[in-house]
Amino acid sequence: MDKRIWAIGGGKGGTGKSFVAANLGLHLASLDREVILIDADLGAPNLHTLLGIKPSHPDLGDFLTGAVPALEAAAVETPFRNLRLIRGSENILFIANIAHYRKLRLLRQIRQLPTQNVILDLGTGSSFNTLDFFLSANPGVVVATPEPTAIENTYLFLKSCIMRVLKLYMDHYKIRDLHQKMLDQIEKNSQSLYGFFKSLMESDRTYGTILYRALRTFRPCLVMNRARDENDVLLGRSVADVVRKYLLVDMKYLGAIPYDENVPAALRALKPYYPDHRDAPASRAIRQMSEELAYSIEFTLRTPPEIRMPDA
Amino acid sequence: MLKRIEDWNYYELLSVERTASQDEIWEGYQSALATYRDGSLALYGLVLESERGLILERIQEAFQTLRDPAKRKEYDLALLRHAPYFPPQAPFRKSVGKLEIDEAPPRQTLWSRIKRLWARNP
Repeated sequence: MDKRIWAIGGGKGGTGKSFVAANLGLHLASLDREVILIDADLGAPNLHTLLGIKPSHPDLGDFLTGAVPALEAAAVETPFRNLRLIRGSENILFIANIAHYRKLRLLRQIRQLPTQNVILDLGTGSSFNTLDFFLSANPGVVVATPEPTAIENTYLFLKSCIMRVLKLYMDHYKIRDLHQKMLDQIEKNSQSLYGFFKSLMESDRTYGTILYRALRTFRPCLVMNRARDENDVLLGRSVADVVRKYLLVDMKYLGAIPYDENVPAALRALKPYYPDHRDAPASRAIRQMSEELAYSIEFTLRTPPEIRMPDA
Repeated sequence: MLKRIEDWNYYELLSVERTASQDEIWEGYQSALATYRDGSLALYGLVLESERGLILERIQEAFQTLRDPAKRKEYDLALLRHAPYFPPQAPFRKSVGKLEIDEAPPRQTLWSRIKRLWARNP
């Protein structure tokens, strides 16, 4: 079976990224698939708490500081079959600001982990480290909640991802002078991504095509967490539609996870949610989401859709 | 779809396929209205109020055109001249090791072409 790296991210804190990551991991492990969960929220790790596991060593910090030679050695067994966890480090302060070469080493080792499923639980915000972890994974899942702050930060996170994708390609093709031009245009208004591509197509069609194709290969998924009614479910669909139209990104809406009082209760009891609430609507939504993602992976492996360029 | 909002065609505005049934158009219309209604959370932080008004007007226009079969036919013909339509499903499906042709038309060999020409002009 192919190896899959899942990244669970999003712009705003408290939307349930760790909840989704932990319960997705528990669900996949219950299907007899080997899973390694990585708490890649370097600044504020707490995935172990959602799994009801006490802090222990080794952890991600031990790998980053060289105390353990390989990332796999930092993966500790959990009480759940097929599920291992690489805990975030609470002892090493400022570990969130890891050096570039360390980040590359970590990304390389994540790709080399000998397991079918690697799930990255990412931190809040749009720092380069978070974005690079998100972009290195496939599928990348953005978790939002039906609140204006979360929606606003979701758009900001996606815009940052787009900028990062384009910048990586610009660096690769040595067209760095375009980057500042792009930033200036994008900051003006929401339609400026179109404006940037339009002007690029007029000045340099080859690079325009390369960058637009690069953008179309970025296909994030969206999950609306803590949905209380039908409007919240539909909001996710609207957000994905707006992203497709305004940010030119092919976003897939995976569905909504209903709000459940048992989630905070399970957290207070330091117990994972999924094993004790398998038939709850939230658990069903997570199962459905993982099935959808299986299709989504097929989707991403397909040839990108036909691109219609404006006439230069 | 690299277009300005003003250039989206009616089907893109309602997020439906060009082959959509009347029910699908109705559903797309309701969904688009919910997305671009006043105070919609989905637009928060991304879409300006002036843009929203413009899109809402175009959504109404799109629905009025697409729900009327005669107007829709006329619009489709005009649209086809500018943008040819390719159905979303490719005639291939993925199988275990190779791509299998599922709904593709039969392959035309040189011999079949000669036979067809012969049938036309014996």
